[in-house]
Amino acid sequence: MGARVVGTCGAGGWRRARWRAGRASWAPYHCRMLRNALGKAFRFLGYTVQYGCIAHCAFEYLGGIVVCSGPSMEPTIQNSDIVFSESLSRHFYCIRKGDIVIVKSPNDPKSNICKRVIGLEGDKVCTSNPSDFLKSHSYVPKGHVWLEGDNLRNSTDSRCYGPVPYGLIRGRICLKCRTQLGLYENVEHAAAHFNCYSLNFCLLYTP
Amino acid sequence: MLRNALGKAFRFLGYTVQYGCIAHCAFEYLGGIVVCSGPSMEPTIQNSDIVFSESLSRHFYCIRKGDIVIVKSPNDPKSNICKRVIGLEGDKVCTSNPSDFLKSHSYVPKGHVWLEGDNLRNSTDSRCYGPVPYGLIRGRICLKIVFSTKMNGTIFV
Repeated sequence: MGARVVGTCGAGGWRRARWRAGRASWAPYHCRMLRNALGKAFRFLGYTVQYGCIAHCAFEYLGGIVVCSGPSMEPTIQNSDIVFSESLSRHFYCIRKGDIVIVKSPNDPKSNICKRVIGLEGDKVCTSNPSDFLKSHSYVPKGHVWLEGDNLRNSTDSRCYGPVPYGLIRGRICLKCRTQLGLYENVEHAAAHFNCYSLNFCLLYTP
Repeated sequence: MLRNALGKAFRFLGYTVQYGCIAHCAFEYLGGIVVCSGPSMEPTIQNSDIVFSESLSRHFYCIRKGDIVIVKSPNDPKSNICKRVIGLEGDKVCTSNPSDFLKSHSYVPKGHVWLEGDNLRNSTDSRCYGPVPYGLIRGRICLKIVFSTKMNGTIFV
């Protein structure tokens, strides 16, 4: 596609006309290339933002997979266990005593901690160490929860930093993922002579 | 006919979920308009004032002393409160009332902030419920929308 050369005269006129025509056809081609590339980049960015927002809202309102680390919830949750946490309970204010929750750490807002809810607002909790002779009790203030790890000897929890505001709770752990490696003789789906990982989901027992 | 109607309904639902998620993320990560109520921040923010709060500062941990922040209430997780940051972690703050003879001071623990309203006589803040964890901060107020009689709407920083 180029400009039609019409009505030029003179010795170098046809050369100038051809140069102008060539330039006219070169400019739109490069503009089109740039526009296509920019369009594709913006569309890619748009899809990324769109699906990123949907994924974020899914984690925020439904739940997600969490990898736990640390010894404070043994034997219920071991180091490097994979758990599934759901966020509906905290939005509907259905967290109960005995639930294992993921909470933004009161001492470090950049990290999360995983503890069990021992007392809700208004409950009477024992604030002294098990080794103390004199037991001291206190009531959990309004809007707070009292958290303790299952491994009481190796857990920094509400006994150290006090009751934790309910607003810091991020989710409730409902499933723990247990992996087994070994030969299976009576598995319905997998072939018996292959080693395979089997994922067993087990419901966490909450007393 | 039924398939068309179902298809349209699902498409509508899909678009609603999509744009709802994008709007939620915009409020969560960028900011939004907030209507303040209550007398605890007078004269800076009056009752029923409209303010704009941005959420970038709290995600990048740039909240400074003197900022006015919106915080999820420690006593009631369903409501938000609007106070000024008087002290960050490690700062020394005065915990006694102004009318007390003996002043008592304490240090703000790690990961917490000390909040006080500008209207000290009529404000329940950290002097009542203690230091507030940083994780409860929702946003920082950066603009207040002021309507004056001369112009229809003016935005003051």
